[in-house]
Amino acid sequence: MEVIDISIRTIAISSIASLLASTWSIPLSYALSGSKGRYAIVVREFFNATIGIPTVLIGLMVYLAFSRSGPLGYLNILYTPQAVILGQSILVTPLLVVLFTDIFREYRSRYWELALTLGATERQAALMIVREAGFDMITAYLLSFARAVGELGVALLVGGNIKGYTRVLSTAIALEIERGRFEDAFTLGLILLLIVVLTNIVVRVLWRRIR
Amino acid sequence: MPRIYIAAITIALTVFIIAVYMVTYCGGGYRILVATTTSLYDTGLLDKLLDEFKSEEPGITVVFIPVGSGEALRMAASGDIDIVLSHAPSMERGYMERGILYRQAIIAYSSFAIVGPRDDPASIRGLDPIDAFARIYTVGVEGGASFVSRGDQSGTHLRELSLWKLTGLNPGGSWYIESGLSMSKTLLFANEKHAYTLTDLSTYMLLRSQGRIDLEVLVANHSLLFNIYSAYLVNPGIIGGYRYSYAEKFFGFLSSSRGQGIISEYTVSGIHIFNPASGYEDKLLEVWMELSKLQ
Repeated sequence: MEVIDISIRTIAISSIASLLASTWSIPLSYALSGSKGRYAIVVREFFNATIGIPTVLIGLMVYLAFSRSGPLGYLNILYTPQAVILGQSILVTPLLVVLFTDIFREYRSRYWELALTLGATERQAALMIVREAGFDMITAYLLSFARAVGELGVALLVGGNIKGYTRVLSTAIALEIERGRFEDAFTLGLILLLIVVLTNIVVRVLWRRIR
Repeated sequence: MPRIYIAAITIALTVFIIAVYMVTYCGGGYRILVATTTSLYDTGLLDKLLDEFKSEEPGITVVFIPVGSGEALRMAASGDIDIVLSHAPSMERGYMERGILYRQAIIAYSSFAIVGPRDDPASIRGLDPIDAFARIYTVGVEGGASFVSRGDQSGTHLRELSLWKLTGLNPGGSWYIESGLSMSKTLLFANEKHAYTLTDLSTYMLLRSQGRIDLEVLVANHSLLFNIYSAYLVNPGIIGGYRYSYAEKFFGFLSSSRGQGIISEYTVSGIHIFNPASGYEDKLLEVWMELSKLQ
């Protein structure tokens, strides 16, 4: 069924986007959390200020970059899920950096000195902090996932709402409203809500189990 | 490392790889990008046309990107799409002259309509569109009526602006609301505000048949309200000959007898909403030329 297809695609695109964003947000945040220098503060404030950046603005930037007449046009990925993933990962980066930095800072103050006095190397201490902070990091990841799943601007502009290819829940809702089918739009909205709530519960429970 | 970690990581990785594969799979074959005016897409007509085309050319995947005509043409200029479906003759002409649009085929026509509340406060029912706009202006300035404009450079918006220009009036003020929304949303907006608006007849009928709006068609059937839908191939110099050769197949299909047959048979709630161009091509091109001269 198309609804299921769209739902799976939505989850896949947004979870990959958040994961991708984590790959650069985690090291960056770790560096920021340990630094009190002026640049670290500027960088942090920059991400703080851009948390609420309008999604269409990111969408437009990504569109212009990947458009055939843009600097990355030769990659030919406009109107593909990859473009949506990239756009969403940029979108959630500020949120992730701010959350991760706070988390790392907190665990650093708690464990860093302790680990070092117990004879751990700096590398081991860093790994320990990341491990201890795992649950909080997953919570941060889920927050960014929720933001990515719910956004419309990027998905519409660089994905194009292509049936069976880049159509995700948010763009499908927009289309159903265009077509005057409010009931269908509302049902899709409920599914979106359900996905956010369920992933939250499932991931949290699983994480508790694994620990 | 405990077993459960390894298991969890393996499962997560497998799911991840499957997800990446699934998400990026585009149905195989060559992909043609078609930027289309929303009215053709929202009514479901294009999906119908695509089903038929797929059975003929299973190796080609056609994808539609529903946007306003203005945006569709912009996308053509930047080379991001292969085919444009548009209904804004005055703007299309400019893009043809600049060599961005290479070949034109008129595929369908319908009508624009001035719609408004049932009680018709400006008494425009049955007038010709220019007189109707002038009356809305007069009553609007007095505070007795309001008008919702798309304000988004779409085909419908451009036609609205042309009509205002023909009246010689310059609409503005609190009675003239620029919604910046799509046609469906503008109609819903006008419905809530008891306002007049200019709409394409197909989107209007789509919403009307679902009981979403009470607005009535007050002015239609006039040469100035002729709504012509054209398909354009983007210049191969912009998109490359390879993409062009594939795009040509879908382009040809739209004006073929099968494509035209689907357009003529297509109904929403039992109402025919588009007329195929087939048989009237020369006449339509004449009207299109006239419309393209509108400012």
